[in-house]
Amino acid sequence: MLLALLLCYGGFTALCLSMDRHHADLLRRKLSSRSRQLFRVAGWLLLSVSLWSALAVTDWALGLVEWFAVLMLSALLLVLLMPYRPRLAVALAGISLLASPIAAFAQY
Amino acid sequence: MKEGFRQAMAWLHTWAGLTFGWLLFAIFLTGTLAYFKDETSHWMQPEIPARSVSSEASLALAQDYLQQHAAGASRWIIELPNAREPALSVRWQQSPAKPGERGQLTAKLLDPQTGREVQARDTQGGEFFYRFHFQLQMPYPWGRWLSTIAAMVMFVALISGIITHKKIFKDFFTFRPRKGQRSWLDGHNAVGVLVLPFHLMITYSSLVIFMSMVMPASILASYNGDAKAFFSEVFPATNIMESAGKPTPLPPLAPMLEKAREQWSGGQVGRVTVNNPGDANASVVLARDGSDRVVHDFGSAVTFNGVTGQLLAATPAQPLPMAIAGSFYGLHMGHFAGPVLRWLYFVCGLAGTAMIGTGLVIWLGKRQLKHAKSGVMPFELRLVEVLNIASMSGLVIAVAVFFWANRLLPLEMTERAGWEVNSFFIAWGLSLVHALVRRGRTAWVEQLTLAALLLGVVPLLNALTTPWHLGVTLITGDWAMAGFDLTCLGSGLFLAWAAWKMQRGAETEAVRQRSRPITLEQEAN
Amino acid sequence: MKAKSKTLPVSYRLAVTSRVLAAVFGGYVVTALASVCLTLWVPMARAEAVVTGMTSSFLVYLLAVIWCFACRSASRAWLGLILSSLVLAALAGLAYWMERS
Repeated sequence: MLLALLLCYGGFTALCLSMDRHHADLLRRKLSSRSRQLFRVAGWLLLSVSLWSALAVTDWALGLVEWFAVLMLSALLLVLLMPYRPRLAVALAGISLLASPIAAFAQY
Repeated sequence: MKEGFRQAMAWLHTWAGLTFGWLLFAIFLTGTLAYFKDETSHWMQPEIPARSVSSEASLALAQDYLQQHAAGASRWIIELPNAREPALSVRWQQSPAKPGERGQLTAKLLDPQTGREVQARDTQGGEFFYRFHFQLQMPYPWGRWLSTIAAMVMFVALISGIITHKKIFKDFFTFRPRKGQRSWLDGHNAVGVLVLPFHLMITYSSLVIFMSMVMPASILASYNGDAKAFFSEVFPATNIMESAGKPTPLPPLAPMLEKAREQWSGGQVGRVTVNNPGDANASVVLARDGSDRVVHDFGSAVTFNGVTGQLLAATPAQPLPMAIAGSFYGLHMGHFAGPVLRWLYFVCGLAGTAMIGTGLVIWLGKRQLKHAKSGVMPFELRLVEVLNIASMSGLVIAVAVFFWANRLLPLEMTERAGWEVNSFFIAWGLSLVHALVRRGRTAWVEQLTLAALLLGVVPLLNALTTPWHLGVTLITGDWAMAGFDLTCLGSGLFLAWAAWKMQRGAETEAVRQRSRPITLEQEAN
Repeated sequence: MKAKSKTLPVSYRLAVTSRVLAAVFGGYVVTALASVCLTLWVPMARAEAVVTGMTSSFLVYLLAVIWCFACRSASRAWLGLILSSLVLAALAGLAYWMERS
C-alpha cells in the first residue's frame, strides 16, 4: 500500500499544481500553459501507476479497495496540509516521488 | 421552486440534510466506532487474555463444554477465536423458536486454552456501537427500518450535494481556513468530495444490506409470496430439519474444519452451528470467517451430517448478482481489513461524520447571521442549535461515559451490561438538558471541554482501575488495549483544541459586538 | 435592505408537503414496480433476478425523489410518478402473462 500512497500523493500534488490558483499559492510563480499541461499529464500518470501498483501485489478486489483508501487519504492529507504548510506539502510530494523506487523495490 | 435544477437540488440537500442530519451523525459516529468493536470489547473486558490457539483445539473444547452444559439444546452456536476476537464464544438455544420469531439464546465466553468459562465483567463491549448504529436501540424491526430510511435520505443528500456543488473540480483542492462560514463550507466540501468513494459505498451498501426487508416486492412477485423459498435458495445452509427425537451421539467436530477449508481453498471457519445436537437429525453448519476476502459469500456455508460427519453439500459457485450484493456487504463490514486498512476505514468514517456535522453547523450558521443583530433567536433556530449541540458533543460525552461506566461500575453488579448502556443514554439525555438551559456557544464550550476531559483521562482511569494500563500494554505488545487508550487520549486533545477554538470564537464575537455601538455613533456624527 | 416576507405562504407549504409525500410514498411505489419489472424481465435464474432487482432498485428511488423536487410543480411530480407506475405495472404484467402462457 505504501507505494500506491506515495504515488497518489505525488499525483494529486501534480494535479493541484496544474491549477492557476494553487500553483500561485504553492510555488509563488505564474503557471505557464506548458507547465499546466505537464503537471496535468504527470498527475494523471502518477495516479494511474499507483492504481497499477496496488493491483499488482494482491487480488484485484483487495487491491482496488486499498487503492481507493490511499487515494482518499492522500487527497485529504494534501488539502488539509496546503493552507497551513504549503512548502511542506510540496516537499512531501517530492520526497514521495524520490522514495517510490525504494517502496517499489520493497514491494516486489 | 422555479429557479432551476441546481437550486432545487440545493433546497433538497439542505432540508434532507437537516431533518436527518442529527440521526445520521449518530449512525455514522457509532458505525465508525464499530470498525474497532473487537478492540473496544477487548478493552472493556480486559480479563480475557489474547492468546493464539488453533481452531481445532478451541472447537474440541467448545464441544466438550456444550456436551456437559447444553446436551438437550436444539441448537449450538460456536464462534471460533480469531486474530481480533480472542474469546471462544458459545451460545445455545434450548428449544426451537416459533416460526417468525427469534429464538432465546444463552451465551457464554470460554477461555480458548482451557475450555472453562471466563470470568470477565459483564458488558456489551464494542457490540453496543455496532448494534446501535443500525438498530438504534429500538425494538425489532423498527430500528432497522429507521436506519435504512436514514440511509436513503443520506443517499439523496449525497447526490443532491454533488449536483449542487457547481465547482466540484475547480474547488477540489480548495480549503481556506480562518475565514468563518467560508471555511466551514470548504471543510464540508473537502471531507465530502475527497472521501466521496467511501461515502457512496457506505451509503448504498447499507441499503443493499437490508434490501430484503425494505424492498421485498421482487421476492413476493417472483416467489408468489413465499419469501421463505427465496431465502432457502439464497442461503441453503439455513434449511434445518426438525428434531427426530432419537438420541444419537454427535461425532467430533474438529475434523470437519479441515474438510470445510478444502471447500474454500484455504479460507478459515468463523462460526460452527450444530442443529439438533445428539439427535438423529443433527446437522453441522460451518460458516466462513469473512476476513480473508472482500466479497461476502452468503452461500459459502458448508453443511455436514451431524451423525456420520459426512459432507452434505459442496459450496456452489457464487452467481454474479449475489457476488455483487455480497461485495456491498463485505465492503460495508470491512471484515477483510488488516490493521492499516481498518484505520483508513475509521478515518473515512470520521470524515463522513464530520461531513454531516459541518453541514449541520453551516445550516445554522448561515441563518444565525440574519438574526445576530437582534440577539434573539427564533424558536426554529434555537431548536436546531440545541439539537446540534446534543447530537454532536452530547453524543461524544455519552460515548466517553460508556467507557467510564465500564471501569467504574462494580464487577458483580447485576445487569451490569445494561447499566453501562443506561449510562450512555442518561449522559446523552443530560447533555440535551444542558444544551436547553445554557446559551449556544457556552453550551458548546462546556460540553466539548467535558468530552475532552472524559476521553483524555481514559488512560489514567484505566491505570487506576485495572492492571492493564499503558505501562504494561505497550511493553507486552497488547496493541488493542494500548491503541484504545492512546486513541482516547488523542481524541481528548482534539476535543480540547475544539473547545478552545470555540471559546476564542465567542470572545472575538463579544469584542465585535462591544465595538459596534461606537462605530454607529461615529457614523451618526 | 431587501424587504422579506415574514412567513411563507400556505400555498408554498402545501406544495412542498405534496412533493415530499410524492417523493416518499409515490417514489416507493414506483421503485417497487421498477424492481419487480426488472426482476421479471432480466434473463437470469429466479433468485438471481430477484437479487438484481432489489440491489438496483434504490437508484430508481433516487431518480424518483430528484424528479419530485426538480420538476416545475407538485402536480407534475405526482403526474410523472403515476405515469411511470402505469408503464412499469403494464410491463410487469406483460412479463407475468408471458410466463404464464
